[in-house]
Amino acid sequence: MKLLSRKFNRRFFLSLLSLSTTATILPSKVFGLSDYRRDKNIPKQYIQNRDRPGFFIRSANPFMGVDANDWGLSISGMVANPTALAYEDLFGFKVISQVSRLKCVECWSATAQWEGFRFQELIDRVKPDPKAKYVYFQSADSYYESYTLEELLRPRVLMVIRMNGQPLSKDHGFPLRLIAPFKYGYKNVKYITSIEFTDSRKRNYWANNGPYSVDGTIQPGIDHPLDFNKKPLPINGGEVFHPFDKRPS
Amino acid sequence: MRCFLFIIFILMVSGISCGKEEVEQIEVHVPEGVTVPEDMVYIPSGEFIMGHPDEPKTRKGQKVSIDAFLIERFEVTREQFKLFKPDYSFHPKKAKFPVSMVTFAQAQEYCQWKGRRLPTEAEWEKAARGPDGRKWPWRKYYEHPNNGFSGFLPEPVDQRHEWVSPYGVYGMGYNVWEWTSDWYAYDGILEKDRNRFKVIRGGLTQTHTVIKFSPAYYRNKIEPTAHFNFIGFRCLLGMASLRASGS
Repeated sequence: MKLLSRKFNRRFFLSLLSLSTTATILPSKVFGLSDYRRDKNIPKQYIQNRDRPGFFIRSANPFMGVDANDWGLSISGMVANPTALAYEDLFGFKVISQVSRLKCVECWSATAQWEGFRFQELIDRVKPDPKAKYVYFQSADSYYESYTLEELLRPRVLMVIRMNGQPLSKDHGFPLRLIAPFKYGYKNVKYITSIEFTDSRKRNYWANNGPYSVDGTIQPGIDHPLDFNKKPLPINGGEVFHPFDKRPS
Repeated sequence: MRCFLFIIFILMVSGISCGKEEVEQIEVHVPEGVTVPEDMVYIPSGEFIMGHPDEPKTRKGQKVSIDAFLIERFEVTREQFKLFKPDYSFHPKKAKFPVSMVTFAQAQEYCQWKGRRLPTEAEWEKAARGPDGRKWPWRKYYEHPNNGFSGFLPEPVDQRHEWVSPYGVYGMGYNVWEWTSDWYAYDGILEKDRNRFKVIRGGLTQTHTVIKFSPAYYRNKIEPTAHFNFIGFRCLLGMASLRASGS
């Protein structure tokens, strides 16, 4: 009994707290942890590819991330009301929450709860020309992506500001990213800074720099979900639902 | 000697370039009174082997008997679809590519507009593999010639003479997946999944590095409202409607 009371007294908890704080300051190697960087030559403070358990991070152009004070979103092109939004403005839209799986073209997938707003909200604000059938996104890390407007208006597409109940982290695209669950992960553009409405389709980053298509619709095939120990499971094409995922009704 | 070697070389090269095997075709007898439209193939009635014993969600290799029917030789093209839906647009160079991005209802409407209907799964599978239970419509296994990558690469519907079924039907195992009229079901399906998905057949599967043909018995499923670049269709004419029309 004496031992127990010594174990769980106030000092014990304070020392625990102190230890946990130290752990965040000391190099992770001291504690045998890994920062999961794929390329150890890239400074660890950069956003970059990390095979972090549960949800891998992918970032084409490593950078330090976005400072909310310096960030702005420009919505332009073939629209009646070109608009600029600040970080605070992102919280003026109706928030929708959904659980969906991000399926990477590299085979893995991971699931999260995403919160954000519908692309329709931006359309209502900027009023695009009916001839503007395409939308071009640019990011803070010089990434770029293109969509048809019709795709962005599909029911499960979200402009995301929160993930798993927390503000979007730098690694996952702070302050604003797109989630289009029927497209491969590389189409789910992060750190968005500019949205342009156009009447012709522009190419995307990975069509110009790698072997991936502009379209990027998830094809029927095999997935290796991180939440299923990367075991292979068949997928039908489009948004990925495994037997243990809940489909929207 | 040099001349001799050169001739051998030429023979070898010509042997390689002409070495593509044709798929042996089943000779069918079209009954008197049945006129087969130019764009269709007659598939006779009778038994065929459906599904595969190792695939529990198929008919597991059972013999299934169905009536005769006429099925379109090729997947419906973009230029054909435009005749039905004049505001449908496509790149002029892709007129012979399969139409895609159509829902089940749109595919069904197109077939009805032509006085036809979508095939059932059984009809589709018989047209693809014939009666002998082969895994691939063209019988032999081939690696797909493209590397796997993130996109779907459609091609003209009449391009691959070497990838035809034993009845001469194209596109069964590559190009687009095709809507069938059947709901996805199998023994033990959960009640919530009943009447939820339509079966699609005969497209490619791909991962990051690999692209594959789907076996003739492979069943894929998707919600009928889905419209993706990898889904198209073809139509069919059943003998019942042929008899009714008297042709």
